[in-house]
Amino acid sequence: MANQTSATFENQAMWAGGRSPFNLSYGKLMMWIFLLSDAFTFSSLLVGYGAIRFSYSGAAVSWPDPSAIFNHFPFMHGYFLPLLFVSLMTFILILSSVTMVLAVEAGHRNSKKEVSKYMFYTVLGGLAFLGCQAWEWTQFITDKGRLDSNFFGITEQGYNHLKQVKFGDHFHWVDGDRTWGPVPFASLFFIVTGFHGFHVFSGVVLNVIIWINTLRGTYERRGHYEMVEKVGLYWHFVDLVWVFVFTFYYLI
Amino acid sequence: MGNFAHTPGEYDPITYVPHTESHGTKELWRTFWLLLGITILDFILYFSMPPSMFRNSIFIFFGLVKAYYIVGAFMHMKNEKVNLAMCILVPTMFIIGLVMGLLYEGHALSTY
Repeated sequence: MANQTSATFENQAMWAGGRSPFNLSYGKLMMWIFLLSDAFTFSSLLVGYGAIRFSYSGAAVSWPDPSAIFNHFPFMHGYFLPLLFVSLMTFILILSSVTMVLAVEAGHRNSKKEVSKYMFYTVLGGLAFLGCQAWEWTQFITDKGRLDSNFFGITEQGYNHLKQVKFGDHFHWVDGDRTWGPVPFASLFFIVTGFHGFHVFSGVVLNVIIWINTLRGTYERRGHYEMVEKVGLYWHFVDLVWVFVFTFYYLI
Repeated sequence: MGNFAHTPGEYDPITYVPHTESHGTKELWRTFWLLLGITILDFILYFSMPPSMFRNSIFIFFGLVKAYYIVGAFMHMKNEKVNLAMCILVPTMFIIGLVMGLLYEGHALSTY
């Protein structure tokens, strides 16, 4: 009984003002709430992707198999290597997430030198990821993927590419064929990965700002490295979203 | 340097920053290896299993496991107050509602 009373008192005191109920800074709480709203945005895109994809079951030209399209790897021209390049991109993003969290940990120890070192690695990882994505887009655009057109799809004969004929290990274009695959495959590829890529780009910009501020000693003078944590939350969220883009766009 | 531990009467909701301490890097690296391991497992499964609903559910399950470790360890949700974790994580249940709704209504989208 006594415990219960003190617990109730504690609970009231928690929300009675004069203290932070979540023991959290204002900025960090706002970052969490922003990330929640961003999670809804991304899940709408991915769930919409799933619904549109399912709506093509039974179509004359059904949804293509991603591995038949995203099978390129830099300097390995002509080889059929599905999933390998996106796995590398996933690895790069996870690695830059680790360097970010190491920067946060160094910030807890107020170590300016280590924070700036790990922030540099994180920026590098983000740029590497963006470079990979640009390469991936270039490949798909070369295969004539556009926001409003897509030549990939599975016909009853089992073709994955409607306008290409296989010669050995290479594919060649055959002109004059007017059949098209499901257009949303290409448009959603650009929209979903583009929206994620824009998040990565924004994250890199934020990371650069934090890195410069760290080098200039802004946080050292402030006495804490909370800004690193806030931007870190955003950066990990971008990694989290990629996990699901990877799952739904490439694996399934 | 700045110990921002709460003392009654000094609380300013805009400038308040709780004092944080390093928990070491051991758990972070362990999480990294775990995420890498699951991604490699994804890769192996993709090539060793024929496409099926069962394989898809394994991939989604792995995605959720990865999400758990990213949010819990990297974003330090494990160290936050339960109240905050509930405020942020419970609303994501709406996403499950969205998935259910679109799966149910999905047939209406099809023109085939």
